[in-house]
Parts: sequence; C-alpha cells; structure tokens
Amino acid sequence: MFDYPNLGARVAATIAIILALFLVLFPFVWVFLESIKPPELGARPDVWVFTPSWANWQEVAFESDVPLNIANSFFVAAVTVLISLLCGAPAAYAFSRFRGFSGARYGILGAEMMPPAILILPFFLLLYHLQLIDSRIGVIAAHLTFVLPVVTWFLIGFFDEVPKDLESQAMIDGFTRFQAFYLVILPAVRPGLAAAAVFGFVLSWNDLFYALLLTGSESRTLPVAIAGFWTFRGIEMGKMAVAILIAIIPVLILSHSIQKHLIRGIGGGAVKY
Amino acid sequence: MHLKYKMIVPLVLVLSAIMLYPLAFSGWLSFQDYRLTRIDEVHPVGLENYRFVATDPAFLNAMRNTLTFVFGAVTLELILGLSLALLVQRLRIMRGFVRSILLAPMFITPIAVGLMFRFLLSSEIGVVSHYLGLLGLSVDWFGPQMALLTIILIDVWQWTPFMLLMFLAGLEALPKAPFEAARVDGAGPWLTFSRITLPMLMPVIVVALIIRALDAFKVFEYVFATTRGGPGDQTVTIMYFIYQTGFRFFRMGEAAAAAVMLIAVILVLVVALVKFSKIDRSKG
Repeated sequence: MFDYPNLGARVAATIAIILALFLVLFPFVWVFLESIKPPELGARPDVWVFTPSWANWQEVAFESDVPLNIANSFFVAAVTVLISLLCGAPAAYAFSRFRGFSGARYGILGAEMMPPAILILPFFLLLYHLQLIDSRIGVIAAHLTFVLPVVTWFLIGFFDEVPKDLESQAMIDGFTRFQAFYLVILPAVRPGLAAAAVFGFVLSWNDLFYALLLTGSESRTLPVAIAGFWTFRGIEMGKMAVAILIAIIPVLILSHSIQKHLIRGIGGGAVKY
Repeated sequence: MHLKYKMIVPLVLVLSAIMLYPLAFSGWLSFQDYRLTRIDEVHPVGLENYRFVATDPAFLNAMRNTLTFVFGAVTLELILGLSLALLVQRLRIMRGFVRSILLAPMFITPIAVGLMFRFLLSSEIGVVSHYLGLLGLSVDWFGPQMALLTIILIDVWQWTPFMLLMFLAGLEALPKAPFEAARVDGAGPWLTFSRITLPMLMPVIVVALIIRALDAFKVFEYVFATTRGGPGDQTVTIMYFIYQTGFRFFRMGEAAAAAVMLIAVILVLVVALVKFSKIDRSKG
C-alpha cells in the first residue's frame, strides 16, 4: 500500500492506517447496527448477529416528532444559507476587490470566532420579549451569527482567485461594475458559492447550543431532538440511533461533494497553498 | 454612494442587528443585577458581577477545565493529524477513499458524536467497556480522574480530521525541489521532516492551531451529551458554566460577565499565539 523503501516501515504504516480506519468507522457501524437491532436487544453490548428489525425506523418515522424536526432543521438551514449568500456574496466581492477594506477581513474573522456564550444571553432575552422563543425565525437569526461570517469569509477567498481582467474586459464590453459582478464574476465562482452554501448548511444543521435554548416543541431541530431521546423516559437507544443516522447521512453526502473546495474556503485567502 | 459601500450595506445591516446590538446588550448586561427570576428588580451594580465571577471558585474551575481541554485536545489533534497526513500522503493505492473516510467525523453534529461515545463507553451497556472487561480491563470512562480525558478523546476523534484536511493540502502544495535536494544530499527521513517539511508547513500549522483552539474553547455538546459537568464539577467547561449560570440559575448578569471574561482570555491567547509564530518564523 505504501511506497516506503523498507518492509518494516510499510507494515507499520499499513497497520496504523487500518487502525485509524477502524477507529473512525466503528462508531458509524455500531450506530447503524443499533438502529436495526430488535428493540428487546437494545441494551446488549455482546449481540452482533440478529435478524434486522425496522421497528425503530418505523416508530421514528410514524410515531415521533422526528419528521417535524427534520423539516425544521432543513428550513432553518436553507433560509440561513440563502440570507447568508444574498448578504455575503456582494460584501465578499467588495472586500476582495475594493481598496479600504483590509480591516474588514479581520472583522469578519472576528465575527466568525465570536463565542456563542456571549450572544446567547441577549438573543434569549430579546426573543423572549418579542415572544419569538420557539420560533424558526429566532433560530435563523442566531444561526446567521456564525453562518453569515463563515460564508462571507469563504467567498472572499474564492473572489481573490478570480483574475481582475475578467471584469475589466466585461466593463470594456459595456457592462457596469455591478453587472460585471452579477453576470460575469458570480458565475465564475459558482463552485465557490456551492461550497460556501453546503458548508453553511452543514454548520446550521449541526448546531445544538442555540437551538437547545431558543426552540420549543414546534420549532425543535434535529440535534435537540437527538439529545431528547436520552432525557425522556430513560434511554431509547434504537430510536436515538435512527435519529443520529438521519442527522448525519445527508451531511456526510453533502460535505463529500465539497471536500476539494473546503481548504480554500477555510483559508479564505489567508493561507496560500 | 460608491458601489463598494452599497455592496456591503446588507452585510453591515444584518451583522449590526444580530451581532453588534447583542454584543452591546451583553456588555450592558454584565453591569446589571439581572435575574430572570426577579425581572422587575433589574438594577446596575457596577463591576460587582466581574468581581464576583473572577473570584468564584466555580468559574475558575471551569476556566481551568477549559484550558486543560483546549491544550490537551489541540496538542493530540496536531500530533495525530500531522502523522496521519504524512502517512496518507505516502499511500500508493486507495488514497482518495482512505482520505474520505478519515475526514468523515468532522462533518457530523457534535451532539451525535457525544451521545455515540456516551453509550459506546458506558460502563453498563457500552460495547467498549464490555470487551475491555473480557480482557480483564475496567475503565470508568466517565468517572473521577478519567472524565475530562474522555471528553478530550471524543474531541480528538471528531476534530483530528480537520488537522488532517489542512495538513494534507499543505503537504501537497509544498515545492518538490527542496526534497529532491535533500535526497541527493543523502538526508534521512527524520532530517528531511524536521528541517524541510516542518518549517515549510509552519504557516499552515499555525492557522490550523488557531482555528482549532478557538473552536475548542466553545466545547459544550460533548459535556452536555456525556457528563453534564460531573463527576462533581470536573468536566464543567466555560460554555457549560455560562449555560448553567444563565439558564439553570437564571443569573444573566453574572453569565454575561463570565462571557466577556472568556473573550478577554481568548484574545490574549490569540495575540500570544500569533506573536509566538512570528518570532518563530523570523528565526527560521
């Protein structure tokens, strides 16, 4: 598998990689098996061979709030990303192209790093006064605090890489600057827009902290619901496993598609590879 | 108005509403005696909240736990991530496949990671504990002494992939010439690594460290999923402390003061890390 010159190094490296793969994959395999275990075997750590049962999946699909939670998570993440792109893309372009915004990059980075601990208190109090606790609007506003800076930061990096000749040429052809941005540059960074959108979606979809404190039964998102399987009526392991799988499978598929662009986005023009 | 200002108006408006205003609100809150249980008796108390929190053993304990967590987790992730990146880079077959699997943990929701390990490591029904037991080993993963380390290890499981991602890209982008020269001069693998790979990778390492450390300060989900701060207060992190103070004890003023102090600590650390990395580079 490896191209090390001596045999000992090749064997050691192979063992290390197989061990790493095992450690990463084991929890996924376990949670899948747990989801199809017949409920009466739920708490047995020593049973690996059994007749698969879809009882957990059926219960989650038809007798729980999880479908509502999925819809909430999807709605919140989609709207958050949409607003982030609408506000973030023009701003990122301006930060990338115009003079006088060198400080703005650090501002965006600072916003991205802001601990949720300091924002959750005012968010909770304000939404409480506006009677927006247990509303999707409240969670969307909270998620924007981290998705909007991240998306903007991502896009700055992608705009930086577009040659400036592109819009000069477009403006010679009679476009205004904004038309050049909208009709020429935006299409040129489409992969970057997609990567930023997917990454922002994943961040919102995965959030527990804000959703835990700002949602109620109507607006509860999937991560909060997952945590709920442990606190109510003891542990409902099988159903929790199902909910975990529902939360992680779409994200794994989505993020796989943007792996290549992720580095450029996170670096945001700060790291040159 | 120039186009460049028009283009940032939406961003500035939204960020002002959802960040600047809440930040100012939090600042104000930190100087008030603001209890949700006595909402009609809110009154300014000057620096009282800061004085109280800064001398509160529970806050200091949470800060100590958080610093231990951040330092432990990020160090382990750096070492493991760099080692894995060097290994994966030398893979001849299935490199893309191995990489995709090894990166998977960083994309999934932390509460799911926390809960999976909560039950994998559970001393009664946990698979890991069961098989360690068959080997005659008994580890109380969430007991005294172990709990904080276990939470560090959960973080390592989820976030080593982030380091791997950064370092793999960094390694791929390194120029080939220095390595050729080293090979011609007969430099061994260790010398090549310590004198060429590591120094050239340093900018990426610093960025990865800063991003990961700042993120680790926000640890909440693993604690919420596994120990809820216990045993005793051994795994209360700063985020969990603020969550408890604000939303379990309803003391918003003190929670806000703790959050402001958290930001101060983070700022000091970031400045120190950036300074340190610059000194390091000017020497090399």
